[in-house]
Amino acid sequence: MVQYNFKKITVVPPGKDFIDIILSRTQRQTPTVVHKGYAISRIRQFYMRKVRYSQQNFYEKLSTIIDEFPRLDDIHPFYGDLLHVLYNKDHYKLALGQINTARNIIAKISKDYLRLLKYGDSLYRCKCLKVAALGRMCTVVKRISPSLAYLEQIRQHMARLPSIDPNTRTVLICGYPNVGKSSFMNKVTRADVDVQPYAFTTKSLFVGHTDYKYLRYQVIDTPGILDRPFEDRNIIEMCSITALAHLRAAVLFFLDISGSCGYSIAQQAALFHSIKSLFMNKPLVIVCNKTDLQPLEGLSEDDMKLVMEMKAEAMKTITQAVGPNEEGVLLTMSTLTDDGVMAVKNAACERLLEQRVDVKMKSKKMMDCLNRFHVAVPKPRDNKERPVCIPPAVLEARANAAAKEKKKLEKDIENENGGAGVYSASLKKHYILANDEWKEDILPEILDGHNVADFLDPDILVRCEELEREEGLRLEEQAAEDAFQIDGHELTQEQKEILAQIRKKKALLIQEHRMKKRTAESRPIVPRKFDKDRKFTTNRMGRQLSSMGVDPIAAINRARSQSRGRKRERSVSRAAADGDGMEIDGQQSNKKLRRTSRSRSRSRAPEEVIPGEGFKDSEQKKKAIKKAKASTRNRNKDARRGEADRVIPTLKPKHLFSGKRTLGKTSRR
Amino acid sequence: MATRIQFENNCEIGVFSKLTNAYCLVAIGGSENFYSAFEAELADAIPVVKTSIGGTRIIGRLCVGNKNGLLLPHTTTDQELQHLRNCLPDQVVVQRIDERLSALGNCIACNDHVALTHPDLDKETEEFIADVLGVEVFRQTIAGNILVGSYCAFSNRGGLVHPHTSVEDLDELSTLLQVPLVAGTVNRGSEVIAAGMTVNDWTAFCGSDTTATELSVIESVFKLREGQPTAIVEDMRKSLIDSYV
Repeated sequence: MVQYNFKKITVVPPGKDFIDIILSRTQRQTPTVVHKGYAISRIRQFYMRKVRYSQQNFYEKLSTIIDEFPRLDDIHPFYGDLLHVLYNKDHYKLALGQINTARNIIAKISKDYLRLLKYGDSLYRCKCLKVAALGRMCTVVKRISPSLAYLEQIRQHMARLPSIDPNTRTVLICGYPNVGKSSFMNKVTRADVDVQPYAFTTKSLFVGHTDYKYLRYQVIDTPGILDRPFEDRNIIEMCSITALAHLRAAVLFFLDISGSCGYSIAQQAALFHSIKSLFMNKPLVIVCNKTDLQPLEGLSEDDMKLVMEMKAEAMKTITQAVGPNEEGVLLTMSTLTDDGVMAVKNAACERLLEQRVDVKMKSKKMMDCLNRFHVAVPKPRDNKERPVCIPPAVLEARANAAAKEKKKLEKDIENENGGAGVYSASLKKHYILANDEWKEDILPEILDGHNVADFLDPDILVRCEELEREEGLRLEEQAAEDAFQIDGHELTQEQKEILAQIRKKKALLIQEHRMKKRTAESRPIVPRKFDKDRKFTTNRMGRQLSSMGVDPIAAINRARSQSRGRKRERSVSRAAADGDGMEIDGQQSNKKLRRTSRSRSRSRAPEEVIPGEGFKDSEQKKKAIKKAKASTRNRNKDARRGEADRVIPTLKPKHLFSGKRTLGKTSRR
Repeated sequence: MATRIQFENNCEIGVFSKLTNAYCLVAIGGSENFYSAFEAELADAIPVVKTSIGGTRIIGRLCVGNKNGLLLPHTTTDQELQHLRNCLPDQVVVQRIDERLSALGNCIACNDHVALTHPDLDKETEEFIADVLGVEVFRQTIAGNILVGSYCAFSNRGGLVHPHTSVEDLDELSTLLQVPLVAGTVNRGSEVIAAGMTVNDWTAFCGSDTTATELSVIESVFKLREGQPTAIVEDMRKSLIDSYV
């Protein structure tokens, strides 16, 4: 996890651009129209706002610069010293200090001129004060232009620094120039550091990453170091010294035993001894490189002695709990022929891992994680066997792993048929059925109103056989029982007739009930005495009385006698002429009734009460008609078509009574 | 061996798949990449079935099964049930279960011989599990969590449990299950073990976020390669210490 990201620092504009940015923003974001006729307080506010706005913008931009650049005392010592080496801590702090001073000066200028503007007495004077304030602010910014330019250079260079995590597992490669450090870096990581056959090809730090035992390691390549006093080292060498001093890393000290780098083993040994204090508490591996040119066994006696002295010193850098371990301290390799490269990497990573583990084993956090390093092995609790289940096909596939052919997968079929979103795979392709032809059969979900799944049973065949056996048993019992069964007898003719009558009666009752129910909701109920539809006739009365078992003759005669009474009254005037039987008299009565009915329908008086209208008598109806006419009298007077006619005509139609006025006559208007 | 895969940019692949020694269920995705990852490894040995359960794709968290049977929640539709019966071998009993805790994959964890269940599971459901899956049933919690199906994953060869399981709990569970157990994580520190991986006796699938260290622990404890679970306390001890502490 990289904690420092110098690539996100905002661009620092040059001094001139800085001024243009702030003044343009002030011009665009504040009002620009003012008149000398305005109230003096308004004029003062206008110009005070401009001064205040400019000061705020200067303050914000300068604060951004101060906050985004890292504080050398607050960050990791490695980065602090690295930035010091590259940019000089004093210059860096002076530049930021000057920006802070400028910020304070601008704030003071703003405060002073705001105070003066409060007492401005004219537009001209207020404007002069505003110009003076902005001018002085710009002068301050112009004065810090060199600091801004310097910080911009630093920012650009910082953005190019590699992302080094000072706290993760790190392998550091150091040594004289031109000994093969960058070649090793390119071999064990994916970094691409430039490799040339002369010194100081590498002028800055480079980072690569490699894996060892499932963990990620950060490999840092450094520029070469020359053997000279500390004060005489240049910036390039100080980068290496800084990394050696502050990173808790495994150090690979590269030794060119062939001398082709331009320096002898004695010079390299002298460098080793002069910087060995930087190796304390770090796993140190001395790597003899370029063994393809000069094998280690072929060294002279003096050189071998120097190498052994370095090895003895290397073993002292870490205090081991166990006795000194010579393994992994002095190694040989050749980056050209790849001999021993991986052994060097593994040895360095292993020693670093051991050191980190030893440190962590002593910490308190270790107690919380002890369960993570424990494998619980089961104790037997019964004599039950619990075998592993691996199909034979898997074992065969493992045995024939080499002869494995690439099978066409569903993904390949999808790509051939149009890709994702176009291809729709069949879910039935891999069904395991008794008959493969059944795969594409359509199984209905609902059949005859029933859910098929409710009747589907995996054991349906077995249950069907059971049911058939039960059915067979039941049929046998039924056959035995039928032998003793009495035959059913037929209905007699008399019983059939009675049954038919009962059913007919029942059907009529049902029909009558349905008709009654159908019309009950919407049929008005009218008393019988107002026989509006003339349904209650003598024949109907007779039929009903007969159906009830009562002799209707007397009732009918009584009804007819009343009717005949009226007829007799009419025919009394002609009683002498008629002396024959009832038949002739009945015919004449019918004719008169028919004539009377026809005349009534044609010329009935409006006050005549027809049965069923709801009126008690003729007087009541007459009164109702009178009231209805009275209610429409006012409406008719207004010439309205009905109650809904609410038209409002023009109440004062002056245009209808006006004309062109003539000379001298205006009193009409 | 263990394989790193993801389902539609989601690394919790145990949610969308269910792997046993007799079959493998895979969710229906927008493309065939997830299905083909299982097909490449397993299609020669066991059927790989694309399915949904109750119209959802989180089939790994809704069903529980082993080589003997498969239990589905009551939300499963009749068509899905019939589809599964058509696709699986005959010796696998497919049953729908009427249980209040319908996320069976979160409540039950089992291999071919032993099952751990949610402490609040019904008594009838427990008997049903014992009958259909042919396992011994134990009510247990893991690191104080009652969702035993989410915080552990085990096969007939080994098991992985919640990283905060204590040493005593590990030993107790190991004796119950009769397999080696280790406390670990998947998907770069996720403690929901069963959501991030799915495993049977000869292969495992993990989310693509799983780190190399986690993958090596999984391969060791489930004996997927030639390694043994004791490699965790021997060869990998230093790597694990440097990672965890």
